[in-house]
Amino acid sequence: MIREKKIRVLIAKPGLDGHDKGAIILSSQLRDAGMEVIYTGLRRTADQIVQSAIQEDVDVIGLSILSGAHMSISGRVLSKMQSAGIGEKVVVVGGVIPDDDIPRLKEMGVAEVFTQKSSYEEIISFIKNSVKD
Amino acid sequence: MASQDKDLEKIRNARKEWEENTLRKNAERLGLKETPVEYYTPLDIEEHDFLENVGFPGEYPFTAGRFAIPVLNAMWGRGKTLGAGKAVRHAFGYSGYGTPEDMRDFYIERGKTPVRGGGPNIAFDLPTQIGYDSDHELAEGEVGRVGVAIDTLKDFEIIYEAFTGDMDIDRIASNWTINATANIIIAMYIALAEKRGIPLEKLKGTPQNDILKEFVARGTQIFPVKHSMRMIRDTITFCTERLPAMNTISICGYHIREAGSTRVQAVAFAFANAIAYFQTVIDAGLDIDQFVGRTTFLNFGGGMEVLKEAACRRAARRVWAKIMRDRFGSKKPSHWIYRELGGGLAGYWTCTKKRPLNNLVRVAIGAVFAAMIGEPPALEPPFDEPLGLGHSIEARQLAADAARIIFEECRLADVQDALAGSYYVEHLTNAYEKEIFDLIEKIDEMGGAVKAVESGWMKNEIIRSSVEFQRKLETGEQVWVGVNKYTEEDEIEVMPPRTSPYRRDRIEDAEKRQIENLRKVKAERDAEKVQAALEKIENAARDEKANLIPFFVEAVREYATIGEICDVLRSVFGEAK
Repeated sequence: MIREKKIRVLIAKPGLDGHDKGAIILSSQLRDAGMEVIYTGLRRTADQIVQSAIQEDVDVIGLSILSGAHMSISGRVLSKMQSAGIGEKVVVVGGVIPDDDIPRLKEMGVAEVFTQKSSYEEIISFIKNSVKD
Repeated sequence: MASQDKDLEKIRNARKEWEENTLRKNAERLGLKETPVEYYTPLDIEEHDFLENVGFPGEYPFTAGRFAIPVLNAMWGRGKTLGAGKAVRHAFGYSGYGTPEDMRDFYIERGKTPVRGGGPNIAFDLPTQIGYDSDHELAEGEVGRVGVAIDTLKDFEIIYEAFTGDMDIDRIASNWTINATANIIIAMYIALAEKRGIPLEKLKGTPQNDILKEFVARGTQIFPVKHSMRMIRDTITFCTERLPAMNTISICGYHIREAGSTRVQAVAFAFANAIAYFQTVIDAGLDIDQFVGRTTFLNFGGGMEVLKEAACRRAARRVWAKIMRDRFGSKKPSHWIYRELGGGLAGYWTCTKKRPLNNLVRVAIGAVFAAMIGEPPALEPPFDEPLGLGHSIEARQLAADAARIIFEECRLADVQDALAGSYYVEHLTNAYEKEIFDLIEKIDEMGGAVKAVESGWMKNEIIRSSVEFQRKLETGEQVWVGVNKYTEEDEIEVMPPRTSPYRRDRIEDAEKRQIENLRKVKAERDAEKVQAALEKIENAARDEKANLIPFFVEAVREYATIGEICDVLRSVFGEAK
């Protein structure tokens, strides 16, 4: 079935990391690719991110983390999503993520991890494929 | 000069001939409509005047170099060694992780290094930088990650256990990459000195303390712009009077460039920010020459188009000299050039995660050109910067060796400003000077850097440059080797072994240990004294004229936490949007 509704993506900056160039540019790329993107701005807690995801009725949540806190932050967001009843939504993580941590994040429930090696085409096509009905 | 004009006329005609004959024929032979290559001649520097535009190193306008004899070059080129052994292995550079105990042990193991007399160059974790204690909700997962965790004076005391005796804080200099909470860190250093009976006049160090760039590039601001500027006024006025050997600020174009700005924006925005800071202090009653000698610049970042970077750096020196002498009316020629550590011309952002050894090549090339314009050839960053936090000792070894090769084998430090007189470089330097001044004037017209930052204009300009660069990467107009080109299957990944200088196991449980440290300190301190000190801070904060640093000193002495102090300030100042 072809999806008619635009894909809605929440791009979030969780925790204290202030480097937002990647998140801002990705938001712009996703919009150019036809998606609706809500960018949360800096210093969001897991609660705030989950609330925004629910309010904005997004399909995908993207966490941008360059501070090394990705394991702890991803774990918290995923568990709060479960409690809030939106555990089935797609979560992707981007930023400075050591290769060794990628399988561990996926085990937690992160659908995919994008780092400096990833191209925007990769990210866009992954998101499109993962929300196909 | 009639004869010079005649010469130019001859060259103009010769060029026209060349374009119409040799160049055109060559283009036709290759099937090209026009040449893809530029060529510069005396025609491109018609207005150029050597004495006015370049002059001599160490003299206005400082285009050729900050010093007549660059201190570092002179030292390193003449028998001294550059970052020998131990310093390389134990990261004499910017570093920090875990709890204060972890850092203390790290510094003790490292031993004395030639840098800053062996003093620390401390990276703090994000909660410390953003005014949250290690047990705060927003600190979860962040404690001890991007730097060491500091909650109270006790943590400072622990780190500085590594600096006693002939390395006590009256002998070494400390570097702190701290901005919004810089005055609290300075207060802790003061309280530490008082405990050790060390006179404040002996304290040397550099807090980064450049809050405007936080708003537009780095993201650790706490309070609104107006109150943040007040804190910097406090730093500079207080230190000018009581800590005369302490640097007060390290103004950064670097982060602005890293956030995606153009090279002209990085220089112009940093200078506009500097102008705003200095004006704030002048408005508080100090004369420019009273305090500017203790201000510094970090650097302006860089990129891979190294000739352009070199020209822009030369232009920056000239622009700043004019700002200091003509705009601020500084009377001391040594104040007309910024104090800057300087370094390589390739930026951190140019480094790639793919085929990371290419990063060594990138920074080596950048360092070569830095050396050619009178800057120390800093090989930054080590090649594995994009692979995660913490550079391996192998990467540091290669970076140190590359710098040594540039000095000792290429002997590039033997000639000052070797690019001076190049038609291309002088043309470009002149062009960049104009662009930088134009952008500063634009910011002046909107009310200065404070307005430019508050309104969001400066950040938007940086984002626009960022997005534009991204667009060029997508179309292939901008090439990134190994990332958007030369990525076929036949290309191989090269990865050498990497050993961390940090104790990895300590990072994992740092948060738990630091929360326990904090709990113990809170249990043992006099809660009433802390409360009284915090109330004094609140009252002083409401009085715009009051300098907050003495109040911070009183509070940290009683082991008030950074989070408690910042919560009081948040309640008075509000938070940055």
